[in-house]
Amino acid sequence: MRVPTSERVFAYVILIVMAMLVIAPVLAGSITAFKPQIIWVSSPPTWVFEPTLENFEFVFFTRKGWVYLRNSLIISIGSVAVALLLGVPAAYAFARFRFRSSKALMQWLISLRMIPPIVVGLPFYAMFLYLERGLGIGLRDTFPGLIITYQTFLLPLVIWMMRGYFAELPAAMEESAMVEGYTRLGALWRVVLPVVFPGIVATAILNFIFAWNEFFLALILAGNRTSTLPMTAGTYIVRTRVEWGNLFAVNMIIMAPVIVLTIILRRQLVKGLTFGILE
Amino acid sequence: MKVLLQNLVKRFADSDRAAVNNINLVIEAGELAVLLGPSGCGKTTTLRMIAGLEQPDSGRITIAERDITDLAPKDRRVAMVFQNFSMYPTMNVYDNIAFPLHAVKMKRGEIDRTVREVAALVNIDHLLERSVRQVSGGEAQRVALARAMVRRPEVFLMDEPLSNLDAKLRVQLRAEIKRLHQDTGTTFIFVTHDQEEAMTLGDKIIVMNNGDIQQVGRPHEVFFGPRNAFVANFVGTPSMNMLPGVVRNENGGGYRLQLPGFDLSLPARFHDGLAAMAGNRVIWGIRPEAIRLVAEPGENCVSGEVELVEALGSRDLIFVRAAEQLFGVIVDAQESLAVGAPCRLHFAGGQMHLFDAENERSLLSLTK
Repeated sequence: MRVPTSERVFAYVILIVMAMLVIAPVLAGSITAFKPQIIWVSSPPTWVFEPTLENFEFVFFTRKGWVYLRNSLIISIGSVAVALLLGVPAAYAFARFRFRSSKALMQWLISLRMIPPIVVGLPFYAMFLYLERGLGIGLRDTFPGLIITYQTFLLPLVIWMMRGYFAELPAAMEESAMVEGYTRLGALWRVVLPVVFPGIVATAILNFIFAWNEFFLALILAGNRTSTLPMTAGTYIVRTRVEWGNLFAVNMIIMAPVIVLTIILRRQLVKGLTFGILE
Repeated sequence: MKVLLQNLVKRFADSDRAAVNNINLVIEAGELAVLLGPSGCGKTTTLRMIAGLEQPDSGRITIAERDITDLAPKDRRVAMVFQNFSMYPTMNVYDNIAFPLHAVKMKRGEIDRTVREVAALVNIDHLLERSVRQVSGGEAQRVALARAMVRRPEVFLMDEPLSNLDAKLRVQLRAEIKRLHQDTGTTFIFVTHDQEEAMTLGDKIIVMNNGDIQQVGRPHEVFFGPRNAFVANFVGTPSMNMLPGVVRNENGGGYRLQLPGFDLSLPARFHDGLAAMAGNRVIWGIRPEAIRLVAEPGENCVSGEVELVEALGSRDLIFVRAAEQLFGVIVDAQESLAVGAPCRLHFAGGQMHLFDAENERSLLSLTK
C-alpha cells in the first residue's frame, strides 16, 4: 500500500514526539549517572563535564549492588524457568485437546494478568505467614517464595503466547510422528518443540523482563536476603535527599539487560506479542 | 495385509450425528482401496481410526487377524500420509526419511542404506541434503511418501495426499502412487473427495456419505451400477442428469415414466424392480455421456435448444433446454453445436437409472 507523503510526515512527527517523550527522561537520567556528585543537581544543569564511574562503583560495590543483581538474576531466571516448565506443556494441552471448560480456563488465565499486584501481594504475604507459623515452611524472604508468587503473572502469559505458537502448527505434525513410532510426548519433544523454539525464546524474554522489572510484590515478599535491584533503587531516595547520581546508576544497571535483550530479539518479540492475542 | 472393520462407530462431542455410523468393511491384502465421499462423510475419521489417531466408540479393527483397536498408533505397523503436512520443518530431507527409523533404534549404517534406497524409489535421491525451504510442494509430498515407506508398514494410509498440489502434479503423483502400490504389493487405503482420483487409483471404491457406506465396488461397478441416488450423483463428472418422475402401468404390460414435461417408456430390465411401484415417485437419471443427439424423432426422444457450451478438449459439454429441463450432454467436439441450435436428445433405455424417491435406492436390484 502506498501512503501519501503528507500522511507519512504526519506519522513520523507523532512517532518522533512520542519517542522523545520516552527517551528524554531516560537520557537525562543516564547522563546524571555519569556526573560527579557535586553537579548531580546543579542549576542550571551542567551539560559539559568529565564523565565518571564513581556512582557505579558506589552502588555496585560499596552498597552491594552486585548482590542485588545476583538476587534479581536468580529470581528472574528461576521464575521464567518454572513458568516455561509448567506453562509450555499446559499451552500444548490447551492448543490440542478440548476438555471441560478449557475455554473458560483460558479466559480465567488472562484475567489473572489484569489483577493489580497488590491484590495478589497481600494474600500471598498472609499465606506465607500461615505456612511459616502453621507448618514451619518458610517462604518469606526466600527465592522460592518470590518465584512461586511470580507464577501468578508469568504462567498466564506463557500459556497464552505458547498456545498461539502451538495452534499454528498442523496437528498432523505430531500425528505423523505418532504413526511413525513415537509417543505423543516423544513427538512433542522431537518434532514440535524444535519448531516452536523461537517462540519459546520470545516468551522467555518477555517473561524475564516482567520478573526483572517487578517491584511491588518483591517489596512485600522479599527481604534482606532476597532484595532485588528495583527494590534497592528505592533506597537512594531518603528522607532528606535524593541521591540522583546513584539512583540513576542503579537504574542503568536495571535497564541494560532489558534494552540489550529487546534490541537483539525485537523481531521475535513483536511476533511473540501479537501471537494469540490477535486470535 | 487384510484390513477388517467391524461395527465401527465414532461420535464427536460437538455433534449429535455419528461421524462414522456402524460401518463394516473388508479390504483384502494388497488391495488399493479408496474411501470416497464429500467432506464430512466420515472417510477421514475412518482412516484416522485405522491409524489410531481417533479411538472408535465401539467396534473392532483388525489387520491381518491382529486386533489393533486398542493399540497406540506407533504399534499398529501402519504408515500415513497427510493432506496438510509433509515434512518436519527442522530436519532436512534425509533426516525426515530417517526419522521413523530412529524410533526403532536401527543401526546407523542400515538407516543410511534404507533411506537412500527408499529415496530412490520416489525419485528424491538427489534432494537428500535439502532443507524444507528448498523443496517444492510435490517434492515435499514425495518425502512424506518416502517416510511412510521406510518402515515397510503393513498398511499405507493416505489422507487426501494430493489435494494441496496443482492439477498437473496431482496426476503425476497419482500415477506414482499407483506404481508404488504395484511394486510393493502392500495394502493401501486412500481417502479422497475427488471421484476422478478414486476411479483412476482404486481397485475398490468405498463411497461414503453421512457416516455410512453407500456402496463398495470396483470403479466400473460404482460408475455404471450405482446402488442409490447419492452414489449416482456423486460419482462421475459432469454429474448425472436427474429428474423426479412417477411410474405408470402401460396397457401392454410395460411401464412408462412420467417426467416433468415429457414421458419415457422404461426398458424391460426395470420391470422386476417396478412390480410394486406403479404410481410411486421415483428419481430418474442418465449420465451426460449416455445421451445421444439424433436427427429423427422417435421413442424416448425430446427436442430442445442448446443453451450453453463448455469445451472440455476433445469433447464438449453442452447444456440443452428441452421440455423445460436442462440436460448436460457430452458430445464429440466435432459434432458440437452452437448456442441456440435446435437439437433432439435420445435417452437409451439401457443407460437409464431409476431410484425409489422414498429411500433413493436403485430399482435395478443388481448385486444388492
